[in-house]
Amino acid sequence: MISAADYAVELHGISKRYGDFTAVKALDLAVPKGSIYGFLGPNGAGKTTTIRMILDIVKPTSGSLTVLGAPSAMDVRERIGYLPEEKGLYKKMKAWAVIAYFARLKGVDAKTAKSTARELLERYGLSDFADKKVETLSKGMGQKVQVLASIAHKPEFVILDEPFSGLDPSNQQVMEDVIQDLNRTGTTIVFSTHVMSHAERICDRILLIAKAEKIFDGTIDQAKALIPKVVQVSGINDAAQLAAIPGVKSISAEGGMPGSFSVQMAEHADPQQLLRDCFQHGIELTSFQYHEPNLHDVFLHLVGDDAKVASFR
Amino acid sequence: MNNSLHIAGREYAENARTKGFWVNLLMFPVILFLSIKVPQILEEKAKPARHFVMVDQTGQFDVVVDRALERHYQMAVMKKLLEYQKKYAKPGLNDQGPDQAELLEKMPAQNMGINPSDPASGMLEMLAEQNPELLDTLAQPGGLDMFINMLASTLVEDPPMFEAPRQMLIRDEIPAGALDGIDVEHADPKEIVRALKPYLLDEKPLADTDEPLFALVIIPQGAENQIKGPGRLPKNPLECADEGVQFWSTNLTDTDLSRLVENAINKEVQRREYVRHHLDPDEIEKVQRTTMQFASFDPKKAEGEEIVSMADTIRKWAPIGFVYLLWVAIFTVVNMLLNNTVEEKSNRIIEVLLSSATPWEIMCGKLIGIAGVGLTMMVGWILSLLAVLKFMAGPEVEWAGTLFDVIQSSGLLPLFALYFLFGYLTYAGLFLAIGSLCNTVKEAQNFMGTATVILMVPLFTMVFIAQDPHGSLATFLTWVPLYTPFVMMNRAAADPPMFDLIGTGILMVLTSILMLWLSSRIFRLGVLRTGQPPKFLELVRSITTSFKEQ
Repeated sequence: MISAADYAVELHGISKRYGDFTAVKALDLAVPKGSIYGFLGPNGAGKTTTIRMILDIVKPTSGSLTVLGAPSAMDVRERIGYLPEEKGLYKKMKAWAVIAYFARLKGVDAKTAKSTARELLERYGLSDFADKKVETLSKGMGQKVQVLASIAHKPEFVILDEPFSGLDPSNQQVMEDVIQDLNRTGTTIVFSTHVMSHAERICDRILLIAKAEKIFDGTIDQAKALIPKVVQVSGINDAAQLAAIPGVKSISAEGGMPGSFSVQMAEHADPQQLLRDCFQHGIELTSFQYHEPNLHDVFLHLVGDDAKVASFR
Repeated sequence: MNNSLHIAGREYAENARTKGFWVNLLMFPVILFLSIKVPQILEEKAKPARHFVMVDQTGQFDVVVDRALERHYQMAVMKKLLEYQKKYAKPGLNDQGPDQAELLEKMPAQNMGINPSDPASGMLEMLAEQNPELLDTLAQPGGLDMFINMLASTLVEDPPMFEAPRQMLIRDEIPAGALDGIDVEHADPKEIVRALKPYLLDEKPLADTDEPLFALVIIPQGAENQIKGPGRLPKNPLECADEGVQFWSTNLTDTDLSRLVENAINKEVQRREYVRHHLDPDEIEKVQRTTMQFASFDPKKAEGEEIVSMADTIRKWAPIGFVYLLWVAIFTVVNMLLNNTVEEKSNRIIEVLLSSATPWEIMCGKLIGIAGVGLTMMVGWILSLLAVLKFMAGPEVEWAGTLFDVIQSSGLLPLFALYFLFGYLTYAGLFLAIGSLCNTVKEAQNFMGTATVILMVPLFTMVFIAQDPHGSLATFLTWVPLYTPFVMMNRAAADPPMFDLIGTGILMVLTSILMLWLSSRIFRLGVLRTGQPPKFLELVRSITTSFKEQ
């Protein structure tokens, strides 16, 4: 039994309405401490609004929440780090000074703030730019500086809104490293994205929302279990043999190739077991292909075509 | 509160570190210095001497003009002598007499104005009028040396030689050959003008000086009879345009010469009229110098000291200067606030700030930081003003220093500080709210257009209110919260009623609290908004709902 103290964030039926428009509808959520939690969903799904409500920048229309045990993030703001969706920094300030400034706002003393800023810049390969003004940095570098600014006070809970947007692939990798580094020190991380691959690689749990409503909430494996596993086999003479194996839900002929079939597995069935069972039953296979479904498939499966439209809005 | 201080510190550093800020700060003394020095230098060095020729067909007036030219030059010499004496006076000598400020306190206010920007020449003119013999002495051979010898005992050891000023108005001979074949005495003035036109149009220079001919003065035959005045039939000015003295010049703006010639001739004409009426012109002149003592009294002052002094007059008018300063200071500073807020909003930095501090803390931080910038600016200005006053000599500077002393003793400064504080808080609230509703500086400027018109009112009315400090306009505007600090500053020297003083004090406190409270609401709502600024009704609704939430 997990007690309330083990959650960094708990949302109980929170909603946010702007006039007639509902941005978030009756959302329940619990983010375990020490986890990496991904908020996934198409643009306009309500991710940013949810994040702002967690941070108490926006007040929910109804529902209640606790953040690190407190009723408002403002009460525990020194323990929270935040990177907003749209990135921006004071253009005229030096990189280290920006980081130190935001750390100081979170209660870090001047000396520590300064040394931490330099240390972070060095760790992520930006020490050459520490004394450059923000306006001279490239977009990606500026974004890195901003990420560092949001974690310089060593928060135990970090919220990153679209941390990967606008970064090139190598910097996206750096961003993933930053998140995992943080997580290793026990920091709870919530980040939002509409790119599934990042979430798949680094998240422990995900929240899927579309059109203001929660669609799914759980671990990656749980998410993947939602869609039937399909194994492609070929070299089989008698399909009925296959159907007799436990865990096989249905079999359909694979288009074109004689002896090729798509095998849909029952929920929770292990494809590896199917392979072993085939050996045991003496069914000879010329090929056995199993593709683990990725989050993208899950997303499309759950959200459907509406989301595709929504995500291109 | 700690966060407010961090935000204030950053806000201060950001604004105080810009080049514009320092340029602004340094430009003030530079401009002040230049505005005092440049006209002096131009007057002394750059302004060309004006050469003119005169054809006096009546033969009666050229002597008069020559005499006036001489007087004019002697005045310049005298002025320079006074400056010379001031500049090289033995230290301590000028301080022995009554203090300038003290003198002003005692000197009765006069309606005949002394030009505050150039009091020395004003006093000289008075002196010359009262005592023309003094100038004549100066004009005599050796007169100048005598004056310098007289001054020598009051000067430091071995002062530099006194340099007489240049002659600025010079009457030249008619260029040789220019009027050949013309009977100068009897010719039609048109003919003379035609012959001299190439010189006037700078097509030919004057032979010996190589200078252009600045002007031609013609006094045609019979001009002495073409005079206007009471008892004479008025003429249509269009018909008699070519009667009397003609002044020809391409320069219409420099009127020193034309005024001098006109005055000299008119004085002579008046003198002749006296003679015609069998009056002694010298006696008349003496009579004209006779005046009666005239002084203004203020019944509010203590008995025995009711006389209205120069210092009182300055104090009555000083509030106008303060209103202007108040206006400039508040709006310079508040504009910075607006720009910073819009920048933070358009950069979305505000979101990070909001996750670290409450809207109230952010607002307080910004208010404190920007107020600090404003104070630095004003202190910088005052220090540089003092520095300029200290290191520059000359009558203008002395005048400014005296003015400063008088104002310091007037008790207006603490009021200024008070009204600045409340004015700043009120307008800062207003501008913060505007800033938080706008996404770009451009959008903010649209709001500003309307705001500026409303805000100009104190400037439009400041002279009127100073003249009628208890009138209905003044009383009405006093109670309009946006104008209260300006109007009360405006009325400060006129001892506004206690009710107004205390009433507006309470009003200002309430206004600034209300403005800050309202703008903290709007700020909170506005900063996270994107897209179009909200419509007015929407704004009111959101303020009321946010009130209910609390």
